[in-house]
Amino acid sequence: MAATMKLSTLGYAASMLSTGLLDEQFQKLLLLQDGSDPNFVVEIITLFCEDGERTIGELTKQLDKRCVNFDEVADFVHKLEGSSATVGAQRVKNACIQFLEFCKEKSRDGCLKTLDTLRVVFYDVSGKFKAMLQLEQQQAEATK
Amino acid sequence: MVSNAHGSPVKALLVEDIAVCTFVLSAMLRRFNCEIGVANNGKEAVDFFLDGKKFDIVLCDKDMPIMSGPEAVEKIRALGETDVMIVGVSADDNAMEAFMNAGADVFVHKPMKLETLGTMIQEVINKKNAMI
Repeated sequence: MAATMKLSTLGYAASMLSTGLLDEQFQKLLLLQDGSDPNFVVEIITLFCEDGERTIGELTKQLDKRCVNFDEVADFVHKLEGSSATVGAQRVKNACIQFLEFCKEKSRDGCLKTLDTLRVVFYDVSGKFKAMLQLEQQQAEATK
Repeated sequence: MVSNAHGSPVKALLVEDIAVCTFVLSAMLRRFNCEIGVANNGKEAVDFFLDGKKFDIVLCDKDMPIMSGPEAVEKIRALGETDVMIVGVSADDNAMEAFMNAGADVFVHKPMKLETLGTMIQEVINKKNAMI
């Protein structure tokens, strides 16, 4: 088990799991954290949130162009699909899968609509991740 | 439990352009005491081999800038690197055919499970020990 994470933080993660925001992959990440790498989960979550935010910014720019390059759009979505699958951000991953279908169809409207959905689910999970990390930090400060 | 009776670590090359995936796969490889090289795309991976570097196992993503995973696998095999275990890794359901046609040994769907990686690392260790 993630020995270095506080019980309250694990409880927060459990609620994200029960609402379907995260899947079992996140639990597997918690198991990868050990004494030799106590900041592993913090680092991976931070990386996911930063990369994801950058990707959504790029997608907005790409779909704003007069002539959309759907292959480039798909490349960005694919990156977010990969990272969300890796951290267990299930709803983000599912939104990416839907997005890729619209990229294949070269449907700008479909892509724009799905980008809206992706934005909502991404900021939902990243907001909760950040709250979880803040809780973890507060607990760590309190036990010093 | 992955065992290495003869002490030398497994040399792994991770070919991946997504930072989150590189981070997690590196952590998993460290669990098995692997020496890890990282390439951010297929061309960097091929360059490692062109520079004479040797690896026991390559974990390779499919879609990357500059050179894709399957293209890199084909080029690595064309260099005569037939002993290295090459594992194609992708979230794309259609990636398996591309990787296997290129000469990969195994395809694993992303995200990779620790147990799956452990089994492959053990296979590599067994092969290394058999050659000694």
